[in-house]
Parts: sequence; C-alpha cells; structure tokens
Amino acid sequence: MLEGRLVRLRATEPADRERVHSWVNDPEVTRYLTMRYPSTEGDWVWPVDGPPPGFTFVRLAIETKEGGHIGAVNLHEINAEDSTAGLGIIIGAKEHWDRGYGADAVVTLLRFAFGEMNLHRVWLTVLDEHERGIACYRACGFREEARRRQDVYRHGRYYDFVVMGILRDEFETLHGAAYAEGGSDA
Amino acid sequence: MLEGKLVRLRAVEMEDLERDFAWVNDREVTRFLSMRYPISRVQEERWIRDRPPNDFSNGAFFAIETKDGVHIGNTNLMQANPEDRKAALGIMIGDKEYWSNGYGSDATVTLLRFGFGEMNLNRIWLHVFEFNERAQACYKKCGFVEEGRLRQHYYGMGRYWDVIVMGALRDEFAKLQGITT
Repeated sequence: MLEGRLVRLRATEPADRERVHSWVNDPEVTRYLTMRYPSTEGDWVWPVDGPPPGFTFVRLAIETKEGGHIGAVNLHEINAEDSTAGLGIIIGAKEHWDRGYGADAVVTLLRFAFGEMNLHRVWLTVLDEHERGIACYRACGFREEARRRQDVYRHGRYYDFVVMGILRDEFETLHGAAYAEGGSDA
Repeated sequence: MLEGKLVRLRAVEMEDLERDFAWVNDREVTRFLSMRYPISRVQEERWIRDRPPNDFSNGAFFAIETKDGVHIGNTNLMQANPEDRKAALGIMIGDKEYWSNGYGSDATVTLLRFGFGEMNLNRIWLHVFEFNERAQACYKKCGFVEEGRLRQHYYGMGRYWDVIVMGALRDEFAKLQGITT
C-alpha cells in the first residue's frame, strides 16, 4: 500500500473489474486516452490473472482514504539501463475530477518510482487538448519536453502528443526526499 | 526494390548475415543505436530467417545497397499504427567507409517516400541521441523537424544523455521533395 495525502495506491483485485469496465467504456473518461475501441470486461485493460506488480510493469488501483476506488495508475515501458518509465493514469470516478486526487496519485507513484524502484526519469504523453491533465502534471513537477506533431488520430482529426518528463532530483527538490517515513508530502 | 538516387532498398537476404553480424557488434556503429549487448551469429541468423514478410503490421525492413550492388546498411519502418498512420524510422550505415557521403540521407528519403507514398502514413518519427549530430543534420536535410528533447532519456557510455524527437509529416515532405505522395 502506497500512502499519499488524499489517496492510497494498492494492488488491483478482481472485484475492481466491473468499475474499470464501466470507466474504459465511458467516452468522457477515455476522451483524452488512446483507447478507441469498446473493451470487454477483463481484457488487457485489467487482466485479473495478470502478473503482480514488478519491475517490468506496475499497475495499481487508486483509492481515496475512505476506501473508494476511483481510478488506476501504471508504470509501463520500464527500462532498466536507462532507468526510465512511462506513467499512465485514469481517474474513472468523474465526481473526483479536479480535486487533487489525480495529482496526489501521480506524486505518490513518482515517490515509489524514485524511492523504491530506483528510476532516474519518468515520462508521460498527453494529448495537447487535455489542458486539465497538462496543468496537473506541471503541478506535479513534470516539464514539457517535446511535441510530437499529429501523433494521434482521434475524433476525426490529428492531435499533437505532448511529452513531459521529470527527473529524480527535480522531484526531490519539489516534494522532498523520495523516501519519506509515512509516505506523504511534508 | 525501391530506387533512390545513390542507393536502392531491397528485402534482407540470408547472404547479408556476415555483414549484419559484424555491424551489430561494432561499437563504433552501435553507439549511436540503442543496441548495447553483443549479438551472436546464431541470434542474427535466426533473426533474418524468422523475420515475417514486410508489411504494414510486421514493419518494413530493407537492406541498403549502392547502385553498384554493395550492401552498406539497413533501414526500417516499425511500430506502424493504422489509426494514427504513423511509424518509426530506423537506419544503420554499417559500412563506415560510406559514412558522410549522402548514402544515409538518400536511403532515408527513399524510405520516407515509400512510407508516405505506398504505406499511406501521415507521420514518420525517430529518436536520435544528442551526441549524434551527424545524424541530426542528415534527418533535418531529409525533412524531419526537431520536435523536442527528452531530458536524460538514454544511458550509455557511463552517463545519461538527452534524446531528440524528430518527426516528418506527409504534406511537408511532399512540399520539400516537390512531389505528390
């Protein structure tokens, strides 16, 4: 269990499946994600019998401190030599948008990535139109590094994909040591 | 066979094995690629033998030959995505005698023309290490635009390096080459 200030990150459970199934089929939720096709319950989005989190792939459920399951985060394309990983997040419970839960989940996962997995850099890609997402990632300490022009086709047109990255020392400057007793921001 | 001005691109043959094997183990060549580990002859042979045929989903992998028939390197389009109509480009001029003579850019332009004109791609992108300035100049000449810099995204030779993202779009390339794709 990774403790943040507003959320905790825990391993995924088969019981999460139904909620995730409804989220990934909600066009409002997937609007800025590269999930185009309707997805069946229990497919790749949420393999119930998938491997446990490890260095090759980390997927964790986001829970509020009250125990409500509101989304998921992951680290993918984790590269041992470069010490890099890509970060993904989905807040499926829309009533929890714009209230700091996403940012807290991202910071909590970054703390784990730097403080436990010994990564050096975490990056992500975000559709240029997703201003709320970009603002959130900036607040977490990510910097805009590249703009892949016309990288994604969705909703009838091409979008730019913005690449953002954060380095371990930048994280520690902003959020304190990657390892902190109790896990939360001071 | 894709004809360029200085080179042609053809499918890979088993006869390429000894050259490919030497190139992918030559640190002067691979330091510019994300290939760190030595590769055995049998692995290289298996790779050539088991490669599925070139197509959109398998990717397009070609040997680069001079017009005199000398095999000097390889180039490919990979990770082609049909919805986004994009793919990544990779290239290696393994025969160092042919560096800095325009063969790499001719092969790149020839492959871009194929990617846009035959595979119906809209965007072709690549990653290049910050210390590979020769390649960056080449790609710019071919029509790639620098789109950003991934900070400390690659580790090699004892330290972290930035990785430059470059992209070529179909309409820009057509304008540059004075052709319709």
